[in-house]
Amino acid sequence: MTVEYETISVTAGGSRIEVLKGGRGRPLVALHSIEGNLGWLPCYQRLADRFTVYVPTHPGYAGSERPSCVESFIDLARFYPWILQELGIGRATLMGHFIGGWLAAEMAAMCPDAVEKLVLIDAAGIKPERGEIADIFLHGIEGTRELSFHDAQRSREYEAFFPPAKTPEQRELQNHNREATTRYCWKPYAHDPMLPLLLGRLDVPALIVWGREDRIVPLECADLFHAAIRNSRLAVIDGCGHLPQFERPQELDRILSDFLLRD
Amino acid sequence: MFIMRFTERPYVAYTESDVRSSFRNSVRLTFSNAHFDPQVGARVYDEAFEENQYAEEAGFDGIMLNEHHNTPTCMGATMNLEAAVLARITRKPKIVLLGNPLPIFDNPVRLAEELAEIDMMSHGRLVSGFVRGTGVESWATNTNPIHNRERFQEAHDLVIKAWTTPGPFRWEGKHYQFRVVNPFQVPMQKPHPPVWIPGVGSPETLVWSAQHRYPYIYLETDQESTLQMMNIYGHVARGLGYQAGPQHFGYLWRIHVQDTDEKASEVGRGFLIGNAGVGRVPMPVDFMAPPGYNLRGQLPKDVLELYKKPLRHDPLYGGVDAANWEQVTESNRVVVGSPKTVIRKIRQGLEMLRPGILGVWSNDGTIGHRDSMRCLQLMKEEVLPALREIGKELDLPGPFEAAP
Repeated sequence: MTVEYETISVTAGGSRIEVLKGGRGRPLVALHSIEGNLGWLPCYQRLADRFTVYVPTHPGYAGSERPSCVESFIDLARFYPWILQELGIGRATLMGHFIGGWLAAEMAAMCPDAVEKLVLIDAAGIKPERGEIADIFLHGIEGTRELSFHDAQRSREYEAFFPPAKTPEQRELQNHNREATTRYCWKPYAHDPMLPLLLGRLDVPALIVWGREDRIVPLECADLFHAAIRNSRLAVIDGCGHLPQFERPQELDRILSDFLLRD
Repeated sequence: MFIMRFTERPYVAYTESDVRSSFRNSVRLTFSNAHFDPQVGARVYDEAFEENQYAEEAGFDGIMLNEHHNTPTCMGATMNLEAAVLARITRKPKIVLLGNPLPIFDNPVRLAEELAEIDMMSHGRLVSGFVRGTGVESWATNTNPIHNRERFQEAHDLVIKAWTTPGPFRWEGKHYQFRVVNPFQVPMQKPHPPVWIPGVGSPETLVWSAQHRYPYIYLETDQESTLQMMNIYGHVARGLGYQAGPQHFGYLWRIHVQDTDEKASEVGRGFLIGNAGVGRVPMPVDFMAPPGYNLRGQLPKDVLELYKKPLRHDPLYGGVDAANWEQVTESNRVVVGSPKTVIRKIRQGLEMLRPGILGVWSNDGTIGHRDSMRCLQLMKEEVLPALREIGKELDLPGPFEAAP
């Protein structure tokens, strides 16, 4: 597979935002999760022959500046449409994993007209009724990594994109990204009490994908998203943990293609 | 020289394997309070109060308290309550709170009220220290660590204003908002109780303390590193047009005295149990410093050049697996011995660091009450009189002898 993308930047609110861009077709914005921008993942490349895929680095994560008043997760969601505006994106498919999915859901709830389709992969954002979203801060980076896979043997590709920090530079980078996640997600932890209500106004087609064995965001959250978004479909991947894009990439690709490529 | 007595009031009725069974093997934060027995807790408070009352008789100028949360290593979870008791059961010594962890307070006005009451109840004996708290304090109170320093500074500004500016006034800050700041109780000491800043030397806090001319108390830091950190304070002070002297520096030191060196060495080993770093099991780094807690501020270039992380190995850290008692004592990180021995060793440290405030961490860990009382008695009879003379001879004025 040839990897074809470029790194561009836009300025929004005086802050320089780094964006990976590749492919051709209608815009699809992939919103990264807690690790920061992991780069051009294989799943983006596979979407790139049908979409122009944009992978912005969120403000405050390594590579992008943050306006000093963007402090909370809601602030981030309110600020983000400006970034898309500077990218010249009118209406786009929003796709995100974990807190990236949460961000996509918040933006869709705020600006439904700007969203073509919505893809939420093992997303944060809704507080479970029975279980808990695992505390990634309390577990630490390595503890969270362990919790993220159903089958630890399948973590190799993830480690290629998110290697355990060995050098001071790698540690510095991980700390920087972790600080950004802390700023946005510390309290209330990884959810917005208002989100289920607001999702009720959405009419866009939405796909909710979950690893059945997700030990970070329990499967019941998939049901809660499914119940909150009327035009949604739910796909649960068996034998898969929190990171389907690394643990079950082919299965995820098939589900994404089904949803995104069929009009 | 101002000499104060300190203990963390530790709770030690648990085992190493208890700790190792807690989430991420941590003695703080996640070590279950199912291991806590309030009967034992009551005894710890009784003994600490008794020791502190005796510390007054022994001639200490101050009694120092601290505060930590979710941990057996320090029973002072709400230090201000203990301070209120000390206000009534002692008469002369300063009540030195080192310190209230400002970032974890959602209501700094309430804190200003509590401290004002302590100052009045003690008839103006409060020394009000402020700290950022360890990361565990942020975890335990669910305060976003990314805002630790911002909240520290804003809460400080609010408390000082509440103490010094007649109310009512309005406060619309980033982290704190109050319509009507007008606490009726204000401190007895004017313009406000002395503020001291204890810490382990983050350069941002050193700069901030020097800017406010607040004495900085080094909490049992490695002595060579301490000199380096003092240099940062001194450098900033010079830039502001004043010369930092002993009255601007304090040093907290584990010092335990018994009748003989042998006995002191045997009993003093109790220091190795209980406290973070020397505790039974090393702490997860992100419990003590969660992401954002050490967010580097904007340090001026000249300060950055002076700031080098301590590179040398500190034998006191690394938990019971790593702590080496011989190294710990030989390097003077902990002083134990007969009165004669400790006086000699303390003199060396005082000559090197020249602090105007000496914190005597007389007992901790498994050092029992009876040994602690004997230690304080020997301090009274032999050590403190000698230290007074050394303080004069070395010209080490404390902050009540020379204004900082």
